[in-house]
Amino acid sequence: MSRPGPVSRRSTKSEYIETDTGNKISRRAHIEGKQNIMLGGKSVVMAGVCLRGDLHRKSEKPAEGEKEGPTTAISVGRASVIATNCTIRPPMRLSRGQMTFYPMRIGDNVFIGPGTHVSSLSISSHVHIGANCVLSPFCVIKESCKILPHTVVPPHMVIPAGSVVAGRPAQIVGEVGEGWGQGGGAEGEEWVEGGDLRPLVRSIK
Amino acid sequence: MAAAFPYTHYACPCSDLTSTAPSSISKRISNNQPANADLTDDRTFNPHDPRANCALYPLDHLLFCDECDAIRCPKCWTEEIINWYCPTCLFEVPSSAVKSDGNRCSRNCYTCPACTAPLAVAAMPQPAGDYLKPTEPATEAYMLQCGYCDWSSRDLDVLFSKPTKITEQLAKQRKARLGSSGKEASDKDAKPNPVGHDTAFGSLTTFYKAQLSESGDAQNQFANSPYSSPANLQRIMNIYGGLSANTLKKSRETPQPMREARDSNEGFSTYTPDPVEHEATVISKLRSLSWEDTTTTEQRLAAPPNNYSRFADQLWPVATPLRTRKGKRCETCRHLISRPDSKVSHIRYKIRLLAMNNIPRIFMRPLHLPNPPPPNAAFRLRADDAVQAELQPNVAQQYILTIRNPIFETIKVTLATPGTTPGNVASRVTILCPSFPVGPAGDVWDEALSSSTTPASASNDGSRKAAMASLTGKAPEDADRQPEAGKVWDRTRNSTSVIVEIVPGPLKAPPSIVPKTEAELADQALDEDDEVLEVPIYVRAEWETVIDADAFGPGAKDDKHHGRQGEKVTKELAYWCVLGVGKIAE
Repeated sequence: MSRPGPVSRRSTKSEYIETDTGNKISRRAHIEGKQNIMLGGKSVVMAGVCLRGDLHRKSEKPAEGEKEGPTTAISVGRASVIATNCTIRPPMRLSRGQMTFYPMRIGDNVFIGPGTHVSSLSISSHVHIGANCVLSPFCVIKESCKILPHTVVPPHMVIPAGSVVAGRPAQIVGEVGEGWGQGGGAEGEEWVEGGDLRPLVRSIK
Repeated sequence: MAAAFPYTHYACPCSDLTSTAPSSISKRISNNQPANADLTDDRTFNPHDPRANCALYPLDHLLFCDECDAIRCPKCWTEEIINWYCPTCLFEVPSSAVKSDGNRCSRNCYTCPACTAPLAVAAMPQPAGDYLKPTEPATEAYMLQCGYCDWSSRDLDVLFSKPTKITEQLAKQRKARLGSSGKEASDKDAKPNPVGHDTAFGSLTTFYKAQLSESGDAQNQFANSPYSSPANLQRIMNIYGGLSANTLKKSRETPQPMREARDSNEGFSTYTPDPVEHEATVISKLRSLSWEDTTTTEQRLAAPPNNYSRFADQLWPVATPLRTRKGKRCETCRHLISRPDSKVSHIRYKIRLLAMNNIPRIFMRPLHLPNPPPPNAAFRLRADDAVQAELQPNVAQQYILTIRNPIFETIKVTLATPGTTPGNVASRVTILCPSFPVGPAGDVWDEALSSSTTPASASNDGSRKAAMASLTGKAPEDADRQPEAGKVWDRTRNSTSVIVEIVPGPLKAPPSIVPKTEAELADQALDEDDEVLEVPIYVRAEWETVIDADAFGPGAKDDKHHGRQGEKVTKELAYWCVLGVGKIAE
């Protein structure tokens, strides 16, 4: 994780700590295992977000002498926004009597709505996830998908690219239009779901 | 409508509901063009019309045919399937195999028959005692398990010996179960006939295929014609074929009549009522079970093996239905307007003619708000952002309406809206400046360069104000700027904003002294979604363009402008759109 700069707490009272690569991390976010989290730059982690970077895969054999580099548990791409009170928790499963964690990958320009629980294996780019969803362990969300609010994506579900998903358990209810993510992003224009989220990131202060 | 406020939905002009222009604009057109003089039908598009929902689309769902110069919606394009793929394993299925597999994935993808979540292969948990005696060779068994509702194939007593080739193992077990034909099979299908459903269907198909080939190919003469059905074409050929009466008579002679299936070898099966004791067991089972133990209609219809399942413990795993990727063609000119790449894992387009790159875009935001909501309500950042204030009836609200021009010519936009919104709740709408030009879209650098060299050209009004402000020492951005009628509010390179004044109407009519009749009261009753304030706006854009050598399309509406290459033609585009403003408070 690109480390937050040497910001002294007394001098700045802003909500967000901005890193060198432009990530904005709320002071009120709960982040565990910093060394296992990668943020791609210009991504936002808002208040109350719980990032469980400590749930990473333990190396098979303990390092002898030299230290191993940190393993990545959560990697987030560029210009992705994790809204308030989300929980990002890498998926895990019991194999051969041992709990194994799997790294989670989140792509670029992904929006995750407030109060969502994410345990998926991967979320590709340009995905829009509504509020209060549950993405169960090992689900895979391909690019340009839209997950409507209050959806529960069951474990191991693969959502193909360009689907609109809703329900408990989630079902594919439609396809996104051809213009998904197009036509937004310019100055003064409204933000478009699945589009470039940089203006949104810029507006979060 | 489910979309969050404010939203703009666009209507494709393909239906009669959306094709008529309001009188204010159609009169103007008829003044210019006598050809359209008969177009004086004064109808406004009513967003509360029951059919309106079928005509309105978000802009990203609309396409644009550049041959016809028209908006295209799902009603006026045709779809063609590019490929089939399984949504779970993301493998493409060749079109030849699609039909034989019943449009389902033949790999190892299954969904839960109870809740539609995907099933995963899991190892059977070993009994606790086995862990204590590790020397004993454990017999491995696997099952299909739903991670959502805890259904597993153990409910069916179906276990697998290996975690691969589930489809083969499952088919074998299914066959064995149906073949046992005893009580078990009759239980399974509620059908005491020993011939299974699939075998019966197979023998019926072979029988009738044989019958067809025997009776000559009369029916299949025009089998691969482009018309909707061979029978249809046959009829047309008979009417217009120009055959003599004799041959007609001959052709009318029916061929050897087809025989129906006669015995069970040919797939014939008789209906035999269930034996009484079987029915009795079903009834007694139904008495003892709860509602959840019986199947729902959706579960039964999800897959053919479950069509006759009466109880939840008879549900067979459902093979994942395939999905398709589709290309789209304009229905009028057969021109491809959207063609996705055939790669399943990604979504890329080879051809994609979007409406949003061709028609003026409209969006609206409130003028005065202490803390403005995010421009797009889909981007809720905090849980408490959700509450959207309701509109107070009879209180005038001002909104900024921004028209953005995506094309490279300056367009002249005319907006028209009914003075009061159609429907049960009449709100008053006034567009302060209904006609204005919008600058061309172009490179961002154009604007930067032009503004650095000729700062005054950006907006005359603004520059004068800025000059005044610099003289008087006041800030140019004065907060208490008042909207004026006939003036645009704001202007950038390719967008123009005007002010719209909306007075939401009251949901209930004021109480009157004269008691109302039943009919009047029923007339006043509000329908669903009547409290949603939606403003229909007719947008008409007009621009001049230089025709290329190959652009002699039907685009230019008036024929007199069809000139030689290099000549300027006037093009126009018009459509209805609906602005969702908000909900009116009680």
